Amino acid sequence: MMPYPTTIEGIIGAWVGALLTLAIYSYILYKETRIYRLGEHIYIGVAFAVSLITATTQLWKQVILRIMAGEYIYLTGVILGLMLLTMPFKRIRWISRYTMSFLVGLGFGVGIRGVITADIIGQIRGSITPPTITTATPLDWFNFIWVCIGTLLVIAYFTFTVEHTGLYYYPTKLGRYILLIALGVYYGNTVQFRMTMLAGRVQFLLQVFKIIPWP
Amino acid sequence: MGEVPTIWEKISALDKRILYWALFLSLIIPYLRPLGLPLSIAETTYAVYNFINKLGPEHTVVVGIHSGVSAWPECLPGLVVVTKHLVQRGVKLIFWSIGYVDVDLTMDAIKTRVPQLKGPGEIAGPGDYKYGINWVYMGYIAGGEPTSAQLADDIRAVLRADKYGNLIDTLPIFSNVRNARDIALVVTSDTGDYGWYYVRQWTMRYGTPVAEIGIAMIYSEFMPYYRAGLAIGMLKGVRGAAEYEKLTGFLGEATVAMDAMNISHILTILAIIIANISYFMTRRKGGAK
Repeated sequence: MMPYPTTIEGIIGAWVGALLTLAIYSYILYKETRIYRLGEHIYIGVAFAVSLITATTQLWKQVILRIMAGEYIYLTGVILGLMLLTMPFKRIRWISRYTMSFLVGLGFGVGIRGVITADIIGQIRGSITPPTITTATPLDWFNFIWVCIGTLLVIAYFTFTVEHTGLYYYPTKLGRYILLIALGVYYGNTVQFRMTMLAGRVQFLLQVFKIIPWP
Repeated sequence: MGEVPTIWEKISALDKRILYWALFLSLIIPYLRPLGLPLSIAETTYAVYNFINKLGPEHTVVVGIHSGVSAWPECLPGLVVVTKHLVQRGVKLIFWSIGYVDVDLTMDAIKTRVPQLKGPGEIAGPGDYKYGINWVYMGYIAGGEPTSAQLADDIRAVLRADKYGNLIDTLPIFSNVRNARDIALVVTSDTGDYGWYYVRQWTMRYGTPVAEIGIAMIYSEFMPYYRAGLAIGMLKGVRGAAEYEKLTGFLGEATVAMDAMNISHILTILAIIIANISYFMTRRKGGAK
């Protein structure tokens, strides 16, 4: 277990954190007050400052120092980056499109290498591979059938070239319900995540106010 | 005289702030008086545990910190307990982030909670992890998926030095590590797409196993990858971390937080049920539309 902060900056940091937490959460009780806005602005300012310093440090270490060491290939990145900065100026905005097309091409090219194998072939293989007969439990078989049939029905629901009537009515309807269940699961997980955030803040407040020990 | 409102109408018109206070207070109680509610362990958590149990001092693991300070309550306990387990196994560790600029704060938090990780210049005792030999911290690396791909191909092409400016070639931990093939496992803590980057660029191209410590939403999204054998296992947010703490015996923040989580979930479920009953009851009476 760690001790409660003993340094001046540690104590100030903990209390500022606690007060800002209360300021931000005051929104749900009292809507947008000056205290809430103060907390919001400090948060945005600090987040921006951290991002700016990190980006500058990255630029210095990964690009400038390397160019200064004679690795002029990194000038390509600098030129492409500078071209991107023409975006706010209407007359010369077209220059930034070369960088954008380069970035889109790079992202697509790098991503596509794994997308087909991982996101398409791998997912299909994972969905249609039955569990091992010798070790599978009834729940494994249920999961396998549920995933197989569910996938087909949801694909049927998203097939818009055929009207969802007649023979196609019930499968697509069922596919829609399966989709809703999946979204419900996703929403449930979102609730868990948000609750954890709140629980974390509650724990932090109790720690700062010395009601429970520091983590 | 107006009609007396029924109990359901009163519930429908309840001030939301009362619910928020009830939730806030219900979260406080378990921290003051832990309830010790039972916790079952998911197959995905077992999978990570069993995999790490097979690793040893000859292996090097990358711990990708791709969750910011804002997600600490959900992701930090998982990162800490998995790091503790890896340290217990004597595995060499490389920490970095290709996603979050505030990674230094998370690294500090891990170091404080795993005291065996001794920083540069700190004296390492028996059982401690000496910086540069047993573990290393590379800091934030910009670039997203292309960077992940480049790191998989050749770590030195992206990184020349660690966070503290020590050249990679002077750090003994990198003597046998050149690319993804030399890494036994990537543990990635995510609030976004970073786990997918490693699956696509490390697992698919080099066969490097990936374990996910994501926020709860990532868990359901990553499940198809686990089922397809593209991820060796997953921890579901703080719940997964609590399960891992139970497995390893390193009881910590996640175990404490689970009671609060359970109580808050029970309260949420009750609120949803009561609100729905009240909605239908008032609608039947012609109240709510």
